[in-house]
Amino acid sequence: MSIVQILLVDDEERFLSTTKILLEKRGMNARTATGGQEALNILAGNPVDVVILDVKMPGMDGVETLRRIKRDHPLVEVIMLTGHASVESAVEGLKLGAFDYVMKPCDVPELVEKIKEAFARKQAMDEKIRKARIDRIISHPMAVFDKRTDLDD
Amino acid sequence: MDSLQNNGEQSAKFKRIRRMIITRVLIAPFLIVMLVCGVLVYFFADALGRRALGELSRITEGHRALVDEFLAEQVSALEFTATTRSFEELASGNRLDTLFLDLKSKFPAFEDIGVFDEKGHHVAYVGSYDLEGKDYSNTDWFKAVSRRGVYVSDVFKGYRNVPHFVIAAQRIEGGRPWYLRATIDSAYFSNLVKNVRVGSTGQAFIVNGQGVFQTGLSSGDRLKQQDPDWRLYRKAETGVESFTARASDGTMYLYAVGRLQETGWLLVVRQKATDAYAPLARAVGVAVLVIALGGGVVVLTAFVLASGLAGQLAVVEVEKREMSNKLLAAGKLAEVGEMSAGMAHEINNPLQVMMAECYLINDVLNDLEIPDKNLTPADLSTIRDSMAQISMQISRCSLITQGLLKFARKSDPALHEVDLGDMVEDVVSMVDKRAHIDGVSIVVSAEKGLPRIMSDESQLQQVFLNLLNNALYAVHNRPGAEIRIAVQQEHNEIVVSVADNGCGIEPENLSKIFLPFFTTKPVGQGTGLGLSTCYGIVERLGGRIEVQSEPGAGTVFTVRMPLSHAPAHPGA
Repeated sequence: MSIVQILLVDDEERFLSTTKILLEKRGMNARTATGGQEALNILAGNPVDVVILDVKMPGMDGVETLRRIKRDHPLVEVIMLTGHASVESAVEGLKLGAFDYVMKPCDVPELVEKIKEAFARKQAMDEKIRKARIDRIISHPMAVFDKRTDLDD
Repeated sequence: MDSLQNNGEQSAKFKRIRRMIITRVLIAPFLIVMLVCGVLVYFFADALGRRALGELSRITEGHRALVDEFLAEQVSALEFTATTRSFEELASGNRLDTLFLDLKSKFPAFEDIGVFDEKGHHVAYVGSYDLEGKDYSNTDWFKAVSRRGVYVSDVFKGYRNVPHFVIAAQRIEGGRPWYLRATIDSAYFSNLVKNVRVGSTGQAFIVNGQGVFQTGLSSGDRLKQQDPDWRLYRKAETGVESFTARASDGTMYLYAVGRLQETGWLLVVRQKATDAYAPLARAVGVAVLVIALGGGVVVLTAFVLASGLAGQLAVVEVEKREMSNKLLAAGKLAEVGEMSAGMAHEINNPLQVMMAECYLINDVLNDLEIPDKNLTPADLSTIRDSMAQISMQISRCSLITQGLLKFARKSDPALHEVDLGDMVEDVVSMVDKRAHIDGVSIVVSAEKGLPRIMSDESQLQQVFLNLLNNALYAVHNRPGAEIRIAVQQEHNEIVVSVADNGCGIEPENLSKIFLPFFTTKPVGQGTGLGLSTCYGIVERLGGRIEVQSEPGAGTVFTVRMPLSHAPAHPGA
């Protein structure tokens, strides 16, 4: 089982730094971003399994960021961070494909639990995809040479 | 006292409404009734006038024939007598006596009779005066009869000093003329026309060709004088003419005039217009009475109706005021709800940070519980750092709650001196954080040294918080979102404008935005009470609120507060 790659997105920098320490102490690998655009940049160049995403952010807000993440990286799981006042955004997030949401202020154990669940699902999904590709290669060996097939994905 | 003054204004307003209703309800029917009456009176008067003139004409025609016939009879009787007798026969007194008696039995109007020779000597006379032997050669009648053969004189008094007129006839016998003259009793003659009665003022009289009375007027004997109103009818031709004219004494008369064929005299029948039009006067009197009584009833009804209506309006006004007070309260409540939701969100962030810090400290402490593990300087600094962070976040929260308290403390209705510049800064600080999250920049430019105004600070805060919230909503998710707030003095007003470069307001909505419950927000997100509340507050504090907007370009709300004003409803 590989280490979970997490991306924390929030406009509160102190929250980012502290939570990063807490998660890393719990055997996870965390990156941080203070805004939606920065998060997308990181996603584009780094392996990420789970994104913790604040709904309310200056600039690109959480829902929009989620929409783009799901468009560009459909396999990445997203956990929404919401306040009481923005439960509607959380619901919208779930409809857009977020894995789950956590109410602010959130418990670290609760957050960790959700991250683990999300990561498990991501791994299961990855596994299914790998199996599907192997099946295809077995039934159509020539497909290995098909340029469009990228086994290292 | 203000409310008293306000009540006064209200009642004046309703009095005005009542007066307006009364006048408008009454004027139209009144005008129509007057018009109808006018038309009726006009046609009635016209018909009445025609009828009266027609009657006068008929009477004139009849009497003219009568008088003409009378004169013609007398003249022909005299002529006949002259032609059937000789001068010698009549000059001897006895024959004339019997002739006169014979004549008078047939024509009772003859007073006397006389015979004249060609020089005008009165050679024989029968009658009650002693006129025999007098010389008449220079009298008018003698000159006229010697010229014309037959002559009818005007009425005159002559030697006998009694009104009479004479008929004279000439006879040429053997180349020598002689004359027979008879006198007609003027009273007898006058009675022919004196008996004419039309209405109560109708009268008839005869004037000669120069307008001199030939008969007495029933209203006083003016015989032999010229009629002062002669000019009115002197041009009458042979037929009978009728007309209405004003006599010299200023009275209007209806006239009918006919010319006598025998003498060229004029028979005049006239009646006072007031007499002829008496039925009209009576009709108008009755109509005026009916209009006055009916009008009184109508006025009373209109008054009662208008009072009732004005009273109902007053009730509606009071209800409206109560309603708007309720709306204001509801708006406040909704505002508090929205505020607290926003506040909760703002408090959540620091709470989140504190929560994380607590876990961090907890982690360090957990590590310390492991035997032989010592507190390293790094651990210590982590804890200190976390504690500092927690305390920082606590003060952040307390700032937020203070803002909330400031907003919520609005129970005190009293007016205080308010510096609008400071107040706007306060309000902006309440939403600054949210604006920052949304990426909206708020620029405040307040003129320095603005005078303070007497107003209700918490209510004004509510107004500007509302305007700011709306502006934030309008610029939501728009690039380069900006809200500019300007506070400045214009004449005797402090003007605060809140301008955004957001979505703007559609023109069809612009007139409705201050109405309660009007909102363009999705169901459940807006109460539609914000701007109506703002409007109510600003109006009550004596100010005005205006809006200008261009869809897609932005909106400017302008609040104008007077420098010195006694608000209509302090704290209502």
